[in-house]
Amino acid sequence: MSAVANGFAALDGIEILAVDGLLAVSALGLLLVDVAMPAGNKRVIGYGALLLLGLAFAATFTLDLTGTALSGAYVGDGFAIWCKRIFIGAGFFGVLGGLDSTARIGPRRQGEYYQLLLMSVLGMTLLAGARDLILLMVSFELMSLPLYAMAAWGGIGNYPEQKGPIPGMTMPSKRRWHRPAEAGLKLYLVGAVSTVVALYGISLVFGLGGSTRFAVLATTLTGGPLLTLAVAMIVAGFAFKIGAAPFHMWVPDTYEGASTPFVAFLSVAPKAAGFAALVQLLLGPLAGMAATWTTLVVVLIVVSLLVGNLMAVPQQNIKRMLGFSGVAQMGFGLMALLAAGSVTAHDVASRGVRPEGLATLLFFLAAYMVANMGAFFTVEAVAAAGYTPGKPADERDDDDTLPTFAGLHSRSPALALAGLLFVLSLGGIPFAVGFWAKVWVLLSLWAAGFGWLVVMAAALSAAGLFYYLQVARSMYMKAPVGADGTTLPAVKVGGGLLLAIVLLALLTMGVGLFPGPVMEAARIAAGL
Amino acid sequence: MIPVNGEVLQLLLILGAGLFALGLYGVLTRKNTIGLLIGLELMANAVNLNLVAFGRYHGGTDGQVFTLFTIALTVAEVAVGLALVILLHRSRRSTDLDAAADLHG
Repeated sequence: MSAVANGFAALDGIEILAVDGLLAVSALGLLLVDVAMPAGNKRVIGYGALLLLGLAFAATFTLDLTGTALSGAYVGDGFAIWCKRIFIGAGFFGVLGGLDSTARIGPRRQGEYYQLLLMSVLGMTLLAGARDLILLMVSFELMSLPLYAMAAWGGIGNYPEQKGPIPGMTMPSKRRWHRPAEAGLKLYLVGAVSTVVALYGISLVFGLGGSTRFAVLATTLTGGPLLTLAVAMIVAGFAFKIGAAPFHMWVPDTYEGASTPFVAFLSVAPKAAGFAALVQLLLGPLAGMAATWTTLVVVLIVVSLLVGNLMAVPQQNIKRMLGFSGVAQMGFGLMALLAAGSVTAHDVASRGVRPEGLATLLFFLAAYMVANMGAFFTVEAVAAAGYTPGKPADERDDDDTLPTFAGLHSRSPALALAGLLFVLSLGGIPFAVGFWAKVWVLLSLWAAGFGWLVVMAAALSAAGLFYYLQVARSMYMKAPVGADGTTLPAVKVGGGLLLAIVLLALLTMGVGLFPGPVMEAARIAAGL
Repeated sequence: MIPVNGEVLQLLLILGAGLFALGLYGVLTRKNTIGLLIGLELMANAVNLNLVAFGRYHGGTDGQVFTLFTIALTVAEVAVGLALVILLHRSRRSTDLDAAADLHG
């Protein structure tokens, strides 16, 4: 009898998992719909996923998701809810911007793509509230495994040269057909190894603390060489996931090989989730080890800023360039984490420092999501025009290179303007949203006492402007002429991709002009 | 069953660390993707060994439950990995990592 009563007691507060439940039901429901539907173009499943993600996003505002559930293993607080909005928003835009591309790549297999995407988002939203090592790792894997499959999605099986083209499908070149498999494999190998490395560190944390609950671990973990090793392995494992240098080598290859709308999702959502996991572990049970992990994070920041900004400059493929720029952006995210971890209660009392690190991280992740997804969608819009001069026929659709942006201003003024806005935001130019994010991160890090790091980051960001402005120069200053002298065609964007770019551009500009309310919301979410 | 005291725990942890290092060596040196996956499995089993040893040392069921979950996670992970290897083999007629070198780097 009491066992039954205990079983029900574990369900107390389960209503704060409403959004996660909705996502789980959505993912499984879409799978059933996919199976039940007659074979053919399954675009409608994409609309379903869009609607359900929109509902889940609205639910994070209308439902009260604060509280504790699963006997303390799951917590809904401002941080978790803010993260959920980022994940669900990224999923929403990922589906919206990818509707056409997904239908083009695999019209009959679209259903599984959206189902995988919803599963991945579910893993992220669960991760945002996890306060238990088991739940943390399970939700982290639920997030990662669909991503491996989605990265490889597209180039399934043999190139259909004998059977002839598949009806309703624009055939990519042979070279491009094989690329997603390679992109998926590279993402998988790095992701799987980094998961196991982090898991080993977590097994040590479990062993030294004697519990899987963060609340217990926070009191039982004391330190020592074994815990230092555990912290190092956890930081390294998650640094792989967020693609911070020197653990970034998978980033450019996977970005180049996988389909662009998927990369838009991959480049923001799992990285925000990696930060959520780091925040929960490092500012939670491992807060006592701050001296160790802040040192490691400083190293990651310095290397990320250097590698990201310097390696982005020579890239001709714009997706690879955005990959390296993302590495540098992760440096900024880690700076916010560093600021959150280094301001102690003593600083607050004696120097009047505001512990704003966590709020800046939340704001930064949202700003990065909006601008980075927008930039990738702009690349997709230009690439979908599908014309590359001066290349052999079987590389015709290998068109993510900088020259395809030449004279975009005269070919498609609105798209060029949106693209300009996104790269300016990523570069941190006023008054796009990315500017406020970077300035706020730097200010909080300055207050935390890392003046030298602030100076270095500011200098390298200024250097980083070079490659962002290179794109702007190509769009605005160059004639719309290809390498072989032919005039580049106008770029027509329509449907979901257009809507996604417009919405993201409005967000980038709107929050950039009026950052106050969103920053205040981030402060509240961080519990300030 | 052997009671796991401090000494036994230490031995088990050393065994786990050895297994992990062996797996990592395999992952870093193998060029064949199947070999890579085997190395990955070794690393995952080192984690399982750690968890079981710690679980027995502390008593209670937390460690065993955690281990069940990590075993399930590893199975799912390797299943996805093998699917990707099959995909690679279909497109390149090889399971060597060098076959997947179309993207720079």
